[in-house]
Parts: sequence; structure tokens; C-alpha cells
Amino acid sequence: MSEPMIEVRHLTKRYAGCTAVADVSFTVAPGEVVGFLGPNGAGKTTTLRMLACYLPASEGEARVAGFDVFRHSLEVRRRIGYLPESTPLYPELRVDEYLNYRAQLKGVPGRRRRQRVSEVKELCGLADVGRRIIGQLSKGYRQRVGLADALVHDPELVILDEPTIGLDPNQIRHVRDLIKSLASRHTVLLSTHILAEVELTCQRVLIIDRGRIVASDTPDKLRARLQGGREVVVEIHAPPPEAAQRLAALPGVARMAADAAGAWTQFRLECSGSEDIRPLVFEAAVQHGWHLRELRQEKQSLEDIFAALTRGEQEMP
Amino acid sequence: MRAFFILWKRELTTYFYSPIAYVMMIFFLIIMGFSFWLLANVLAQGAPGVSVMRELFDSLFFWMTTLTLAPVLTMRLFAEEKRSGTIETLMTAPVSDPAVVLAKYFGALSFYGLIWAPTLVYVVILRMFSPLAAPPDPGPIVCGYLGALLIGAFYLAIGLFCSALTRNQIVAAIVAFALVCVAFFSGFLSFMVREEAARNVAQYVSSLAHMRDFARGVVDTRPVVFHLTGTALMLFATVKVIEARKWK
Repeated sequence: MSEPMIEVRHLTKRYAGCTAVADVSFTVAPGEVVGFLGPNGAGKTTTLRMLACYLPASEGEARVAGFDVFRHSLEVRRRIGYLPESTPLYPELRVDEYLNYRAQLKGVPGRRRRQRVSEVKELCGLADVGRRIIGQLSKGYRQRVGLADALVHDPELVILDEPTIGLDPNQIRHVRDLIKSLASRHTVLLSTHILAEVELTCQRVLIIDRGRIVASDTPDKLRARLQGGREVVVEIHAPPPEAAQRLAALPGVARMAADAAGAWTQFRLECSGSEDIRPLVFEAAVQHGWHLRELRQEKQSLEDIFAALTRGEQEMP
Repeated sequence: MRAFFILWKRELTTYFYSPIAYVMMIFFLIIMGFSFWLLANVLAQGAPGVSVMRELFDSLFFWMTTLTLAPVLTMRLFAEEKRSGTIETLMTAPVSDPAVVLAKYFGALSFYGLIWAPTLVYVVILRMFSPLAAPPDPGPIVCGYLGALLIGAFYLAIGLFCSALTRNQIVAAIVAFALVCVAFFSGFLSFMVREEAARNVAQYVSSLAHMRDFARGVVDTRPVVFHLTGTALMLFATVKVIEARKWK
């Protein structure tokens, strides 16, 4: 197992009067594309800024490629390409001038600079706007210039803060494809508040809310757990221990909760598979002569789960 | 060091992207040109050859331009980067904080030098067409430029410090103007207070008195040291302000 690209341990950032990031820990392996998902104000930007050495942590530590972001800040900064949230650029410069300047500043040696600049321009679809002045470019093109800047020194780790915000659907698709194409050569950590985005681009998702990580998984598993993890609600008139046993033994039931109210018992069956278990429940009821009063599936969209996950956290003290 | 030169070059060229620089240059040259015209007039009337360079380096016009130049040339340096957010891309690039501060400072100082450069023509004209028996002594001229450079260096450092404090260029300019005025007018205290010690202190820090000496061709090490340490102090303070975001 190689050394993790990002290693964050108990990272905390407190501003006067509020905690933006609270005890966050995670690791990212080299070559991974990880999405940082959370509602606005969840602490995504603050965490990314700490990783990019722009802000210091109040507590805890973060390492990038084995270097501490606070003590070996310059080493870390040499290895990351960071695109801040609002894509700040110098509007008075031309695209070529800007990328050249940034490549120089990031220490791309002279002979490779011209090549790297034209490579990232090609990659980001900027080949024919090199002579244009940045201030006159559309938002989409400016975003691409920011991306090109983040990539120009061929960094090991690319940190993108809301890379598709403010773009039109075509541009969003282009940027997503671009991010996916980075995966072979770079480690990517990107933040977003759009669920579909992480599903499309990321191998792993970290859900953050109110400064805490509330979930970390692959999009598929997360979906299985969230969307596929449907709940079937069954209400039957039957001796509870026996019914519970039989229901729990049904294929595809991951967990079960029983709630008895008089003679009737309500079971909530959490399903892990994608198969619908309602016919099985019905057959079981017929077979054992249970009275069946309710049989329905509660479907949760990814949005619902996301909302549930993040809202649930808010209610905690 | 490599980063310093890249940043310095960028800072210096950025002046030429903005109209403010050209406006300031024209403003400066008009005023200095008028000042030179006055000097030529004095010479034409056959004035005694005492320190004619005072007309250029110790006049109302000199102070008017220097006091306004410094805040205007420096107000953008950090404030604009903070406002537009480019400070984030700048400070997350592999460059040290002192390199950024020094590059911005020397960019401003270089531009200040460039603004002064055309006035060298006056020196050539004086030497070619001087009505005096002997052409003006080069001593006061060199000293005058040295004084302008030293005072400019100090005032620009004050301006840079103010720019680092805020994200609003106008606020930076106003605060810087207030501070350079304090530095300038503190010299007048020597005319106002009776206390002997206070008068002495005012004499030592008086930019006006320093410049008068320089324009006469007198290089006293005290004002030289005063301005250099003042500059160093302001630059140090600027580095600390930029580092402050990293304080826990």
C-alpha cells in the first residue's frame, strides 16, 4: 500500500465564534478522484483552503504527499494545483501571458514551459483563445483558464473548489469529462454541492455537513445504501417473534426494526439488494396465514438521503 | 529568489496595464516640468548659483507629487489581489511571503524610478545651456536624486503596508496618504513646539529638512539611515500582516 496522497487527521478550524471544520479525518490514495460533497457553508472551502496551505488549521494536521501543510508548506504547494472557488484571475492579462506567468511562478523550467502551456491549453479547450484578454472571456472560458492554471505544472494533486459552478450544461459536461480524464495521472479532490456531479466524476464521495464528515463511500455503494437501501414497511397481525424471524430471513433484507402496536406489528425492512422484496413478503404472509394490513416501499432519492444525512446532523447538539 | 524576479517583473509590467500609472506619470511630468521652468527662470534672472536644485527637489511641487504618488502607486498592490481573490492563487503558489512582499515593493520602487527617469533630461539641458559661469555642480544633482529615492522608498513602503491592511484600494490610498502626511508634517513640529527635546526629535524625522540638505548636496548619514530603517520596518510589518492569516 503506497503512502496516501492526502492524510487528514482531526482537522479543526475555528473562526471567532464558530467552528467551520470540526475534527475531520480522511485519507485519499494516489490516483483517486474524490468528491467533497456538502451543502453551502458546510466547511468544504475551508477544508480545501487548509489543504492548499492558504489557511492554517486550528487543530489537527494534514499531510499532502507526506508533507505537513503547515510546516512544509512550500513543498506541499509545489505538488498541488489549486483552483479556488471564484476562479480568481488577472483580467488584464492575455490567456497565454497568464498561463506562462503561472507556469514560471510554479517553477516549470523554461524549456518545458512552452510545451506545458500548449498542452494544458489543448486539454482545457483554450487552444484558440490564447491571445484573448482574460477579462473579456466568458465565465466558462475563465473557468477553463483557472483549470489550466491548476494543471500547468503537472501537479500530483489537483484541488478544485466548485469547478462547475456558474457554467452552462455543455460546459459542465466538458469540465466533468476533463476531470475524469485527469484521474490517470493526478489525484483529484473536488468539492461540489451537486450530487449528480460526484456520481459522474468521482470514485469516492465524502459528505461533509456542519464541518463534520457524515459519510464516506463510493457513489455506487452510497447509492445502494441510500437510494437502493429502500425501506419496505409491512404491517401484519401475527405472533411477533415468529414473523420477525421469518421476515428477517428473507433474501435481501439487511436490517429490520419492529414496532408492535397491540395485535398489529409494524416491521421496517431495510433492503440492500436492488430486488423488490414485496412479493416475497406477500407470499410469506399467505403461507403462514398472517393478516396483512400494509405493504409499501418507501423510496428515497439521493437528494432525500443527502438532506436526511445533513439535516440529521443539524439536530445534534 | 527566482520567484522574486518573476513576481517583480509581473508587478512592474502590471503598472503599464492600468491607466492610473499613465495618469500619474503625466501628472508628475507636468508638475516637474513646471518646476523646471521656474528653475530656468531663476537662472535666467542671473540668480547667484546657490543650490538651484532646491527648485527641483525642495519645492512645493516636489512634495505635492511625492506625497500623492506614493499612495496611488501602492494602493493596488495587495488590496486589489485581496478584492479579486487572486491573493489565494498567489499565496498557494510555491512562493514565500517575504518574496511576494519584496517583489511588490521593488516593483513599485522601480516604477517610481521610471517616473523620475525623464527628469534626467533637465540635467542635460542645464549642463548644456547653463548661463552660469560654471555648469551646475553634479553633487547637489546626484544628492537630490538620492534624496528623492530615499524618501520615495520610505513612502512607498508605507503605502504597501496600508495596501496589505485592506481589500479596498481607496481606503489603502487614504490611510497611506494620512501616514505619509504624518511623516512629512512631523517636521513642522519643530516650528510649533517649545520643548527643546521635542524640537530636536522633529528635526531628526523631518523629511523637509532632510530633503533640503540633499538638495544642497549634503549627504548626512542620519537621514539615510532613518529612511532605510523606516523602509525596512514598514516592509517587515507588511510581511507580518500577510502572514497574519496564518496565525492560529
